[in-house]
Amino acid sequence: MTSINRQSIYILILSTFLLIFVLIFSLKFLIPHGKEYREQRSQLSFARADLRRWKNFDDETYATLKTLQSDNRHIIEAFESSFNEQRFIKTYKKLFNTLSLSKTKRLDSQDGFEVYQVTTSSQISSPEVFYNFLDEVNKSDWIIGVNFPINFKRNGEVISSSFSMKVYCNGTVPSNDSNTSKEVKK
Amino acid sequence: MRYSYIIPRKKSIFTAEIRLVITFFSMTIFMLVGTYSFLLYKDTMFIKDKRLIENQKIVFQKNTKEMEAQILLIEKQNSLSQKIFTKNSVLKDSIKNLFDLVPQRITLSEAKLLENGLILYGITPNKDVYNFMLHAPLRSIFHKTYSSFYPAKGGWLRFVSTNYMDDETDEILDENKGEKHD
Repeated sequence: MTSINRQSIYILILSTFLLIFVLIFSLKFLIPHGKEYREQRSQLSFARADLRRWKNFDDETYATLKTLQSDNRHIIEAFESSFNEQRFIKTYKKLFNTLSLSKTKRLDSQDGFEVYQVTTSSQISSPEVFYNFLDEVNKSDWIIGVNFPINFKRNGEVISSSFSMKVYCNGTVPSNDSNTSKEVKK
Repeated sequence: MRYSYIIPRKKSIFTAEIRLVITFFSMTIFMLVGTYSFLLYKDTMFIKDKRLIENQKIVFQKNTKEMEAQILLIEKQNSLSQKIFTKNSVLKDSIKNLFDLVPQRITLSEAKLLENGLILYGITPNKDVYNFMLHAPLRSIFHKTYSSFYPAKGGWLRFVSTNYMDDETDEILDENKGEKHD
């Protein structure tokens, strides 16, 4: 009969401890954390894919916005400009013999834009001048719509004309406007 | 009295075999603890990355929303401005057509262009010229046309021509009412 020496007993005890330690450590810590690791990794890859999707969407939206901004630069700037009576007269005086703006009145907002009515009286040498003005006004620094009533009255060699205009802007108040507040909220 | 010529070596519990086993066990424990630390570190990093990604996503969403609002505003601005520009061009053509309508023999002294009407003041050599050359085309454009004449110098006649168009919306409403009655 072979006898088990002391050394073998030590090794056996150590091995048993190690086995118990490995089992407990694996079951208690490694396996749950391994599962969590896999879940977190899949969640992270999903979040990364989602982020990529949002980034692509953001890039596309940015490209669309830039294209729109470059295509409509004049219109955007015109809507942002506050109406200035003096500058308007200075710009269009060359077309008319005389040009004066009598009043600037704030109207109800239209489609979210501020609208101001400007009454204009002028003297022109022929109706052609008025046609030219209507062509020029579409290229002006403001968004201006010429409105009825429009009156033409012959005074000798000149024609006195009066008409009203609607000026549209994003929410800034035309200058020289005493009836309304200086800044209007968007 | 000496029984042996060699010095007895000290007996230790850590024999070569035991040391080998302990080294092997230490390596095993080290690997287990290392794996566990790796998992803990990775979990922490994943949570951190997820939070970072979530923040970036919120930034992108906010940014996109702002840009979409800007796009919407530009589209609205574009649409409104095109409408206004077209209206101005149409107005120019309308006025041009109106003045082209007036024959050489009739002289206008005043023209009032209203939203749905036109009032003309002028001078004509006689009623026939007015009726054939101005009144007829005006009548074909407007729904209601009224004319009045006053004598002027040299046998000419001053006229006031008042022309109105029926409101299209009224007409549509009337038509709808009629359809309902039917």
